[in-house]
Amino acid sequence: MQEEMKMIYLAVPLVCLIPAIVAGLFGRKIGRIGAHTVTILGVGLAFFLSCYVYMDVMDGNTFNGTVYVWGISGGFPFEVGFLIDSLTASMMVIVTFVSWMVHIYTIGYMHDDPGYQRFFSYISLFTFSMLMLVMSNNFLQLFFGWEAVGLVSYLLIGFWYTRDTAIYANLKAFLVNRVGDFGFLIGIAAIYATFGSVDYSAVFASAPSLVDETIEIIPGTSWNMMTFICIMLFIGAMGKSAQVPLHVWLPDSMEGPTPISALIHAATMVTAGIFMVARTSPLFELSETALSVVLVIGALTAFFMALLGLVQNDIKRVVAYSTLSQLGYMTVALGASGYAVAIFHLGTHAFFKALLFLGAGSVIIAMHHEQDMRKMGGLRKLMPWTYATAVIGSLALAGIPPFAGFFSKDLIIESVHASTIPGSGFAYVAVLAGVAITAFYSFRLLFMTFHGKPRMDEHTLHHVKESPWVVVVPLVLLAIPSVLAGFMFMEPMAFSNYFEGVIYVSEEHDVLGAIGSIYEGKTGFSLVMAFMLHGMVALPFWLAVGGILLAWLFYIKKPELPGKVVDSVKPLYNVLVNKYGFDDFNQTVFANGTVKIGKFMSEYGDRRLIDGFFVNGTARVVEAFSRFLKPLQSGLVYQYAFAMILGLLGLMTWFLRVAQG
Amino acid sequence: MNHILNMQVATPEIFIFSMACLILMIDLYTHDRLPLLSYWLTQATLVAGIYLGLGGMGTEPVTTFNGMFIHDGMSVVVKLAIMLFTLIGLVYSRQYILDRGMYRGEYYVLVLIAVLGMMVMTSASHFLSLYLGLELLSLSLYTLVAINRDSDTAVEAAMKYFVLGAVASGMLLYGMSLMYGVTGSLDIKTISAAIQGMQSDDVMLMLGLIFIVVGLGFKLGVVPFHMWIPDIYQGAPTSVVLFIATAPKLAAFAMVIRLLVDGFQSIAVNWSDMLVILAVLSMALGNIVAIAQANFKRMLAYSAISHMGYFLLGIISANPNGYSASLFYMIIYAFTGLAAFGLILLMSRSGFEAENISDYRGLNREHPWYAFMIALVMFSMAGLPPTVGFYAKLSVIQALVDVNMISLAVIAVLLAVIGAFYYLRIVKTMYFDAPEAERTITTGLDARVLVSLNAVMLLAVMPWIGTIMDLCMSAIQSMG
Amino acid sequence: MTFEQLAFYFFASVAILAAAMVVTVRNPVRAALFLILTFFAVACIWMMLEAEFLAIVLILVYVGAVMVLFLFVVMMLDIDFDQLREGFAETLPIGATVAVLVLLQLVIVLTSGPFELEQVAAPVPAAADYGNTHQLGLLIYTYYVYPFELAAVMLVLAMIAAIVLTLRDRTGTRSQKPHEQTQVKRKDRVRLVKMNAEKKN
Repeated sequence: MQEEMKMIYLAVPLVCLIPAIVAGLFGRKIGRIGAHTVTILGVGLAFFLSCYVYMDVMDGNTFNGTVYVWGISGGFPFEVGFLIDSLTASMMVIVTFVSWMVHIYTIGYMHDDPGYQRFFSYISLFTFSMLMLVMSNNFLQLFFGWEAVGLVSYLLIGFWYTRDTAIYANLKAFLVNRVGDFGFLIGIAAIYATFGSVDYSAVFASAPSLVDETIEIIPGTSWNMMTFICIMLFIGAMGKSAQVPLHVWLPDSMEGPTPISALIHAATMVTAGIFMVARTSPLFELSETALSVVLVIGALTAFFMALLGLVQNDIKRVVAYSTLSQLGYMTVALGASGYAVAIFHLGTHAFFKALLFLGAGSVIIAMHHEQDMRKMGGLRKLMPWTYATAVIGSLALAGIPPFAGFFSKDLIIESVHASTIPGSGFAYVAVLAGVAITAFYSFRLLFMTFHGKPRMDEHTLHHVKESPWVVVVPLVLLAIPSVLAGFMFMEPMAFSNYFEGVIYVSEEHDVLGAIGSIYEGKTGFSLVMAFMLHGMVALPFWLAVGGILLAWLFYIKKPELPGKVVDSVKPLYNVLVNKYGFDDFNQTVFANGTVKIGKFMSEYGDRRLIDGFFVNGTARVVEAFSRFLKPLQSGLVYQYAFAMILGLLGLMTWFLRVAQG
Repeated sequence: MNHILNMQVATPEIFIFSMACLILMIDLYTHDRLPLLSYWLTQATLVAGIYLGLGGMGTEPVTTFNGMFIHDGMSVVVKLAIMLFTLIGLVYSRQYILDRGMYRGEYYVLVLIAVLGMMVMTSASHFLSLYLGLELLSLSLYTLVAINRDSDTAVEAAMKYFVLGAVASGMLLYGMSLMYGVTGSLDIKTISAAIQGMQSDDVMLMLGLIFIVVGLGFKLGVVPFHMWIPDIYQGAPTSVVLFIATAPKLAAFAMVIRLLVDGFQSIAVNWSDMLVILAVLSMALGNIVAIAQANFKRMLAYSAISHMGYFLLGIISANPNGYSASLFYMIIYAFTGLAAFGLILLMSRSGFEAENISDYRGLNREHPWYAFMIALVMFSMAGLPPTVGFYAKLSVIQALVDVNMISLAVIAVLLAVIGAFYYLRIVKTMYFDAPEAERTITTGLDARVLVSLNAVMLLAVMPWIGTIMDLCMSAIQSMG
Repeated sequence: MTFEQLAFYFFASVAILAAAMVVTVRNPVRAALFLILTFFAVACIWMMLEAEFLAIVLILVYVGAVMVLFLFVVMMLDIDFDQLREGFAETLPIGATVAVLVLLQLVIVLTSGPFELEQVAAPVPAAADYGNTHQLGLLIYTYYVYPFELAAVMLVLAMIAAIVLTLRDRTGTRSQKPHEQTQVKRKDRVRLVKMNAEKKN
């Protein structure tokens, strides 16, 4: 049985990898239909296998072991191993499901693209990378998946590689991620240095005993080793999960085709950081400082990125900023030790965010790749399915009960409220404010796109029609969990022993336990009802409703209002439009500054000193020497013989006279 | 001492010599009607020789012919490599020999006798058999160098080789006679036992050792006993240079092992010091002077000198680990040299020797595949990863580091960097210079395929590099 | 000083002096003759060592065959040895210096220990009926059969080498080949070419 399950575990990533290779290398041979058939079948199979694994894990069969030893270097094994538990299994199901939907949706979205097969190859590869990341049982394989995800995201964001903006965006994503990855790598190195292993189980087992370990980074100041490791790991998470200030790549990544935006933002890449922190909870729990950093960064992201969503006019960018903000929520949950809630939100968010992205994509197809919301409007009647699903998605995002987002987000807010670590007060305010803003911009999107008068030109309007079934079906399939996932999974994930032995929360940080005690004795449906009723009378709900009403006021009732408001707070508006100046700052200081330093080094360090003096100088000396020695080979045989005699004499003199003394 | 002649272990040698005589006779009668018969017979002989040699794998060390012939792991491996490399080399050079009117049955007979000589050296456990093997090889080589009598440079090269070879043989013999005077025996094992108790500062011993080292130095072609190498490489027909540059290097390795290790391991500290001087001089002079060469073959000659310096590094470390690194280095070097000269032969045709570096300008545009092959060979010679040449250099330098000769290792690495220059210049010439004249390749398909395979192996053999190293190690460890 | 010692020193001096003359005299024929003298002197020393067979072989082979052959070559080929000796005077000082240095070191080492007369006991003179040739034959064909065979191989090789390097089909000689001449066909000799008639100018 164990062996069979091992084969299945191995099969899950492989059925994604093999089609990716087939579609990538033999794309031309197997054609478009061949490419999407193999990849969709592969990922579909991966989904069903993941479900099977999930069931198996629910039955209590976990697994932790090495599948393949890739190499041993200096006694350090490089292993491919799987750790299959409830966290992994949940992630596997989420990843494969969303990815599968995206695959199907892509048939419709990329229908006319010349890089059709390549795209399928990439997204399958992406799924493979993400699966390797979540299934890993050691930090090294985690890093492999981490980097593979980064690489494929680079390829995908720059999928339309003839567009300059796409090239710029993928380069940016790659570079910003490098910053994070660097921290992550240092973290892994520090783990190896401290624990002598990169295996999760070994590291976590010995972590409590090494809690007082310190490290001297700057001589004279000693840091707690756990804090150092956790912050370094979290820097990695900040890159992948787009936390301030390493978030700048994510909005730009909208340059990629919409399916990939859905895949990156909903289920894969960006969730990697959240997943990783949850996975390493036994380490984070040992460092209050690190948790506090996580909490504050998350809160900053949640609030400030939400604000940016207000001023965007590009339909995809609005969704992108909402992703940033929601990732902030998840991070806040992590910081407040509500790891289970973070994963819960990750799951619900995956569904409704994928839904929103694919819905936006559906609109974009109908609008002939127009993404500016100011040129939309009134699409409600023309695209009923898209509209209906978008409404569900928006409600879920805004956190209106009983949609999925409500449960997870409300739990996050409650967790922060219950948390006592430094920064939790600020975080609570930030996430509360975020709720209203989220509701506002998500309905702004809905109203601007689907309501009001059509603002596009006649020709476009004439051609708008509902998207084909390959687009609509995934929308519907994603809408279902966007409604149901919340109350179905709230109790098991947040209030049960679902993550027992997987996620470790210390006594004093147990916020979920505190929340759970309110609903003492309630289970099943009654717990859900009680939670909803409690939510209805709580502040976040009314903030959300307020946000929606405000959006309605601004964009349906009195469309002239936004302009006036903008005029009255022009400076603030400009700050938001300029995205707080992060991009400009990076461009001027890091990009241009690096180029300048590089130019200086190139001119003086490389060309003058190394090239001019060391390299060419040495070469010239050697060559001169060579020309000097060449005539010794005179071609005269008696001179050759004489050289041999001289050699003999030399050896004799040295070893018989000098060396013997 | 074994007085019963157990000639079974010498089957390959006996077979090869019998075939050499047979081919000599057959060629006399069939030369006009079946011109290629001698060639194919020679190849068949070598194949059969390899087969017979493989039969001796993994057996315990045995001596025969009254202790003058030893059969052990090292001799088996080296002999197999000698026969295999000779065989490959003959495939490469067939067309060249035909084109230049050098095709005669005697060419192959001489090659076979040279192979016999090398095998005798490899299995020698007695000064007499060692010396006779050496002379068998040398005499064949002198003749082969001069075989194209119409070429003045070839005849001149042969003359120089002969005269200098005679001087070196004289020194070697003198060294051996001194050793006989000191120990009273010519048998290597007996000598080894006799000097065990002697002082390592015994001047007589030292004097004999110096003469022997000089003789070895000449055979290897290390500075200052290297003078013959550039002239021979440049002057002799390329097919003969191909032969000289490959199999005899392995025989020289065997000779070094038989004399210095089997015979004088107990005074290793002395000969190791001498070899250090020779090695450093060789690496320096070889690498530096190669830069100024315009003739490809001459450049490879200097490269050979420097390679012999690197080869000595493993011997210098004076332990089995180092010897096996040296054997590995020699095999890799000979194999790379095979490809290098094979490619020169491939590029040449009647009336065109393809021996100047300028002949390779812009080769990439006309024959990108062969340009790539040459580039691979150059990378391997320069010791750039991931070619096998890198591992060869790495292993000998590793051997040095293991015995704490760090400064020598550093010198070796620095000189290797200088060496990389002239190898890469060939690559530059092929890829970035404008072509001058048209080139056509006239060589047969078998040689083309084999030389391509040979060059590609320099890269593709990577996953099995450990196996080859293990083979070398076990060869050294199973010495009798 | 016994007679034996006297004889030894005499022959040794002759050998060394004659060898020196080989490389210094101008006339090549004389140089060859001096070489013969050297061989003779050495043969005599071997004789004193009771190596009669070797001494005889040396004279028979080297003096009787090799040197005579050599003299033939010298006389037949009109080599200008003076030209070969050009520069001898300039290179002499440095050459001589090195030679003396090498010699000096050799002498120092060789006279330092194991080869001193006191170190090596004088061998017992062999009995009158002792056959040096017989002993040599026994050893060569039994104990040293392997080197002996190899030496035979080397002689074969030397023969092959000599023939390879000297035998050649001469081209350009005008010897008659009757069998080819009688078998000649018309097409070998005449080639008929069709041409258009040329116009008269």
